[in-house]
Amino acid sequence: MIGTPVLRLSEVGKGFHGTTVLDGVSLDVPQGQFVALVGPSGAGKSTLLRLVNGMHLPDSGTVRTLGENPAACSRSRLRALRARVGFVFQQFGLVGRLSALENVLMGSLATLRLPRYGVMSYPRALRIRAVEHLDRVGLADRRFQRCDTLSGGQQQRVAVARTLLQSPELILADEPVASLDPAASTLVLDILKRISAEDGISVVCSLHQVELALATADRIVALRGGRLVLDEPAAGLTAERLREIYDTAGARDG
Amino acid sequence: MVSTTPATRAPAAADPGPLRPPWSARALIAAGLLVAAVAVTWLTFWWIGLSPASLAAGLDDTVRLLRRMWPPDLPGAGDVASMIAETLLIAVAGTGLAALASVPLAFVAARTHKGPRWLRPPARVVVVLTRAVPTLAFAILFVRIFGLGPLAGALAVAVHSVGMIAKLLTDAVEETDPVPAEAARACGAGEVQVAVSTVLPRVFPALTGIVLYRLDINIRASAVLGVVGAGGIGVALQTALGSLNYHRAAGIICVIVVLVLLLELLSVVVRRTVLRPTAHRRTAALPAGRARHDVGWDRGRVLRVAGAVATGAVFLVSLWSLDPDPGRLSGAWPNLRAVLSGMWPPAFSGELLMAVLESLLMALGAAAAGAACGLVLALLTAVNTTPWRPLSAVVRVLLVVVRGIPDLVYALLFVAALGLGPYAGFLALWISSTALAAKFFADSLEQLDPLPHEALTSVGARQWQAFAAGIWPQFVPSFTGNGLFVADLALRESVVLGIAGAGGVGYLMQESIATLRYDTTAAIVIAIAVVVYAIETLARIARRHLL
Ligand SMILES: Nc1ncnc2c1ncn2[C@@H]1O[C@H](COP(=O)(O)OP(=O)(O)OP(=O)(O)O)[C@@H](O)[C@H]1O
Ligand SMILES: [Mg+2]
Repeated sequence: MIGTPVLRLSEVGKGFHGTTVLDGVSLDVPQGQFVALVGPSGAGKSTLLRLVNGMHLPDSGTVRTLGENPAACSRSRLRALRARVGFVFQQFGLVGRLSALENVLMGSLATLRLPRYGVMSYPRALRIRAVEHLDRVGLADRRFQRCDTLSGGQQQRVAVARTLLQSPELILADEPVASLDPAASTLVLDILKRISAEDGISVVCSLHQVELALATADRIVALRGGRLVLDEPAAGLTAERLREIYDTAGARDG
Repeated sequence: MVSTTPATRAPAAADPGPLRPPWSARALIAAGLLVAAVAVTWLTFWWIGLSPASLAAGLDDTVRLLRRMWPPDLPGAGDVASMIAETLLIAVAGTGLAALASVPLAFVAARTHKGPRWLRPPARVVVVLTRAVPTLAFAILFVRIFGLGPLAGALAVAVHSVGMIAKLLTDAVEETDPVPAEAARACGAGEVQVAVSTVLPRVFPALTGIVLYRLDINIRASAVLGVVGAGGIGVALQTALGSLNYHRAAGIICVIVVLVLLLELLSVVVRRTVLRPTAHRRTAALPAGRARHDVGWDRGRVLRVAGAVATGAVFLVSLWSLDPDPGRLSGAWPNLRAVLSGMWPPAFSGELLMAVLESLLMALGAAAAGAACGLVLALLTAVNTTPWRPLSAVVRVLLVVVRGIPDLVYALLFVAALGLGPYAGFLALWISSTALAAKFFADSLEQLDPLPHEALTSVGARQWQAFAAGIWPQFVPSFTGNGLFVADLALRESVVLGIAGAGGVGYLMQESIATLRYDTTAAIVIAIAVVVYAIETLARIARRHLL
């Protein structure tokens, strides 16, 4: 079942302006696995995720995403790689003035040639698929509503639908529920989990809520001060133990 | 359970439902504005005979003129200093007079006004009318009444500024909390007492800000008043151009540009230091050992009083510098009576309406073309869209210099290079609209949310795609709003460019006053006011529906 890993980090190091943010991080993520990335603020979670799709490049070590090395990719190759990797942002990254449908359609831009503006500038086949994905996150009836009039949870589901339209082989999510209330958080994570299970897509998702991480993920990876300090199946972990690691890490780094 | 193909499986819905977004009023207005802009631009190009060939010829002529201007010949330092001083004093006197007149006007015009009701409509009319008629139009009129010199200029600045200061101040008055005023009325205070003791102190900071802002605008305006003989550095420019001394004209333009650039720098510094929210506000507690009724002197109070005294002194000096001796003022009285009585009834004519139409076309065409060019420049300069940082810095500096030259100066130059007519006016407005639009657009581009663009980059979109889908839709409202604002400003300029012979109604206005046809003058002033007010209202409505 588990073949070549979808994502492989080997001894990855990364710093900004002389400070070390990630230090010798190694991590393999097999296909279909849901990985929760936890750790205190400033631990380097966002930086790690951005290394995966080439938004940052590593200072040392190598990153292999879907068999490609983002650091060695040409511009067009990097675009092609990014098209295969979904990225869900904490602040959604939607264009508030546009409809949910148009925002979802933007997920297909890498497959299109020209710039697009307006729902009708996308091919009909794509519009049908976009509506199906909106349906999958439960928002098909909101397709023409402006995104800035949707609730935070709904907006994040639109962002997830946009990612789905990419037909991604790997989804990276950077604190996708950090600005949502508990009910909306659970809903968004459930959707991500269902996609991962049904379609066999790997998900790497940074999270702050220990309980949510344990309830959703197959595997928990903890970062502290740029180092990997825990990497275990979620099944064997208790919230107690995880929070302890989290807290001592917080105490030590804060 | 886990499928082997990583492709996303979506449920095959039988009927996807509607795939075409419903029509919205917003989209219709946006489309209408776009069509109108293209149509007006095309009409303008046809009207003034703009074509690639005529543009090339115009460029040739302009280069030839610039050659004749090189090298600039600066007047002596003493002359420069006195010309600049006169320009500044005109602006200070005009702004000060306008501020004094605006305060009662704003109180009467405010919706919260509780005094005699019949005062309100005339106050509103004065505000609208004075704001719609440009400073230079008043200057022509006042030169006729008061004679050549800075007095006419300062009064023109004052009358036009009253409109804007009073309008902004009215808004501030209407926004103040009504309860203290109610309390004062309940104590038996009269309306004037209520205004002076409860409302004025609270709108004072707003008033100061408005007046400083207007002073900035007025200094720029005063630099060209001399073109119609109303004093300031523009007189020297007009003399130099009139005697075909282009080296001297270039020197004076350089002085004006430096003056305006210094002003720009000063206003940036003032905004940074004065208008920054104060970090620590002293509490109102009295120092120990001071009697309750004794306000006492601390640093802040000394500074405030010194500032007020200095401001008052500068204002008095500026008034005195206008040389308003009683003989001259009483001599103006018959002129004023002649002008006013000659204005009734206003004489509209076909020629006049065509001239107004020409001004309108020049302005709208130039604003549309300027918005298009400004957009390109803004994309080159805004930090989040520029393809190359050093280019951004160069364009930015260039734009500040281009904005530093008043429209009328461009018009004078193009008239000297290309001859009389709307072609010169259009080019002048086009240049200034481009520079203005580029600044507005770049500023608002930089304030957009960068996240959608980043998200689309991570989707694998090309640069242009990420721009069109992630930045452009966010930018549409400010593009439209700023574009309309540029059109509004261009219109106010275009009605006076005729003074330089650059087409539009300004020439007729000047001619009607020179030939004592005040009935025509009145008709022109009314037409200008109506057109400017109409465009401003249209712009406001469009903006409200688009944001
Ligand atoms: N582009 C950047 N330039 C400079 N420093 C950066 C940059 N991005 C991240 N950092 C620094 O790297 C460190 C780790 O940041 P990162 O965003 O990866 O942490 P995080 O674990 O995601 O924290 P949080 O939970 O608060 O999101 C921080 O100290 C941050 O200041
Ligand atoms: Mg983060």
